[in-house]
Amino acid sequence: MNKLYSLFLFVFLWYLLYFLRVLPAPHTTALTFLELLIMGDPVLGRNLLEHSASSLLRVLAGAGIAFMISVPLGILMWYERFYHLFHPILEVLRPIPPLAWIPLAYIFFASFPSPTVFAQIFIVFVGAFFPSFVSVSDYARNTPPEYIELARVFGAERNQILRYVVIPYSIPGIITGVRVGLGVGWMSIIAAEMIATSGSGIGYFIMVMYEVGGRTPEILSGMAMIGLIGYGMNALLLRIERRFPWHLRSEE
Amino acid sequence: MLSKNGKHDGSIFRIEFLIVISAILILAVIFMGCSSEKTVNVVKLSPPDMIEQIKLGKIDAFVAWEPFPSKAVRDGFRVFMKSGEIWPNHPCCVVAYRTGKADDEMLKALVWAHVKATRFIKNHENRDKVVEYASQFTGLDRETVSIALENIRYVEYPDEKEFRHYYEFLKESKILKRSVSEMGYESEDAFFGDFLRKDIYREVVEKLSENPDYIPEKAGSIKLGYITADLHHLALYVAMKEGYLDEVFDNVELRQFPNGVAIMEAFRLGEIDAAYLGGAPATLKRINDGIEIRIVAGVNNEGSAIIAKDDIVKPDDLAGKTVAIPGFGTVQDFLMRKVLAEGGLKQR
Repeated sequence: MNKLYSLFLFVFLWYLLYFLRVLPAPHTTALTFLELLIMGDPVLGRNLLEHSASSLLRVLAGAGIAFMISVPLGILMWYERFYHLFHPILEVLRPIPPLAWIPLAYIFFASFPSPTVFAQIFIVFVGAFFPSFVSVSDYARNTPPEYIELARVFGAERNQILRYVVIPYSIPGIITGVRVGLGVGWMSIIAAEMIATSGSGIGYFIMVMYEVGGRTPEILSGMAMIGLIGYGMNALLLRIERRFPWHLRSEE
Repeated sequence: MLSKNGKHDGSIFRIEFLIVISAILILAVIFMGCSSEKTVNVVKLSPPDMIEQIKLGKIDAFVAWEPFPSKAVRDGFRVFMKSGEIWPNHPCCVVAYRTGKADDEMLKALVWAHVKATRFIKNHENRDKVVEYASQFTGLDRETVSIALENIRYVEYPDEKEFRHYYEFLKESKILKRSVSEMGYESEDAFFGDFLRKDIYREVVEKLSENPDYIPEKAGSIKLGYITADLHHLALYVAMKEGYLDEVFDNVELRQFPNGVAIMEAFRLGEIDAAYLGGAPATLKRINDGIEIRIVAGVNNEGSAIIAKDDIVKPDDLAGKTVAIPGFGTVQDFLMRKVLAEGGLKQR
C-alpha cells in the first residue's frame, strides 16, 4: 500500500511541475515513452529497445571483464602480502570518477577497431571494478578468525583455508559487489554515451534529443528507461542474493 | 518477495517475467536490425574527429563544413560531392541576435561591419590578405584554406526561398516538434517575415550605396559568439582585423563556441547579444525550444562537402557503410539524407 502512496505522490508532484510549466505532463510523457518503445524517433530512426540493447551490451561487456578481475583480486586481498602490495595503489585509483578516464581511454584505444565502443566499455569497467573489488575484499579480509583457527586445528593449509573458508564466506560480498558494480557501470555507460558519440545507446539518444530541441518528453522517456533497466538489474540480483541462506535482509 | 508464511507472493516472478520478455524483445530488435539491407549507419562526430576517424578507417565517409573537407583532401582523401552539387545555393551560416538583447543601433553597426567584411572577402584584389586571414583564423596552411575558400560562397543576406526549403525538410522529417501556429504566428509567411529580418540589412546597404564611406553611429558594447575555426565565419575575423568592428563598437567581446547548439544555449541564457552560427540550429532551436532570436544577415551559402573513401563513387555505394554528420537537423544532415535518398538508402 505504501508503494501505491509513493506512486501517487510522485505523479502528483509531476503534475504540479507540469502546471508550473517546468515539465511536460506525465500522460504525454507516458505516451511518448510507449511510442518510442515501439516506433522509435524520426531523428535517429531507432527505438528505445535498440538503444537499451546497445547500452546493456556495453555494460555487460565492461562489467563482465571488471568482475573477472575484481573478484579474484578481492579474494586474494586475504593474503597480507597481496593486500599490502595492491591496497595502496587501488586506494589512490578508487576515488577517480569513471568519467575522468574518458580522455585517457581514447588515447588507449585509438588504434582499436571501434575506439569509442572500447573506450565506453573501459569506462564501465572502471565504474564496476572498484565497488565489486571493495565488497569482495572486505568480506575476504573479515573472515572470522575463529573459522580460520578451526580449519587450522583440522590441519588445513593456507590454500585450503582460502578455498574452503574464505571463498565461501566471501560469496555474499561477491554478489553484493556484482549488484553494486553493475549499478555504477550502468550509470557510467549513460554518462559516457552522452560525452562520446557511439551512434546508439540511451545516453546518446538523450543527448541527440536535447541537441535537436523541443523533446523534453523524449528525454524523460530515455531517463525512465534508464531507471527501469537499473531497477530490473538490481531486482534480479537481489533475487539471486536471496537464494543464499546467509543473505542480509538489511541490504534490501 | 517472501510473504509471512514464507511463500513467494509472486512479485519477484513478475519481475523475472518482465526481464525475460524485455530480453526477448531486445534480441528480436537486434536481429531485425542486423537483417535489414540497404541501410547506412549514420553517426554524429565533430568535424576534427571525422578526419581522424576516416584516417583510422572507422568511418567510410563524412559531410562537414569547410575547412575540414579541404583538410581531408590535403590528407589524401577525395571529395565525393560538394554541397552545391547536392543542393545548389543552399543557405548555411547566418548572423542572428537575441530579441530584446540588441537594439537597432547595435544591429545596424553589426550588419554594417559584416557587410564591409563580406565585400572585402569577395573583392579579388584582397585575395592574398583573405587567404592570410583564413589561415590565421583556422590555424591551417595557406594552400588548404585556398582550396576551402573556393567552395564557400560568402553572402550578405540568405536566400529566403532556400531557407523555406530547409524548413520544409525539417517539417517533413518530423524533426520539428512545434508548428509556427503553436508559436503564435498566423502563417508560415508571418513566421519567416519575423524570423528573417531584412530591414536593417536593407537600410545599411542603401546608405552604403548612397555613400560608400557611410559609417553608423558607435553602438557601445557587444557580446558576439562564433564557432571556433569555422571558415564560414571568416567575415567576423576580417571585420575584426580590418578594424570594422572597432569603428562601430566601443567594446567587442568575442566568445568562441564548439557548435551552433552551444551558441543557441548561450542565447537562451542571455550570455551573448548576437552570433555567427548555422542557419540550421538557429531555425531548429527557434522553433523547437522557442529561443527568441532573429536573423539579420547571411554569412555564406554552400561551403560543405562529402568526403569519401576511394571505393565510394556513387550514392548507392554507401550501402552498409558508416558515415558521419556533425549533428542531426543540421544542413549537413539534410545534404547527407538527400544523397542517401538518391541511392535508395535508409539511415540506421
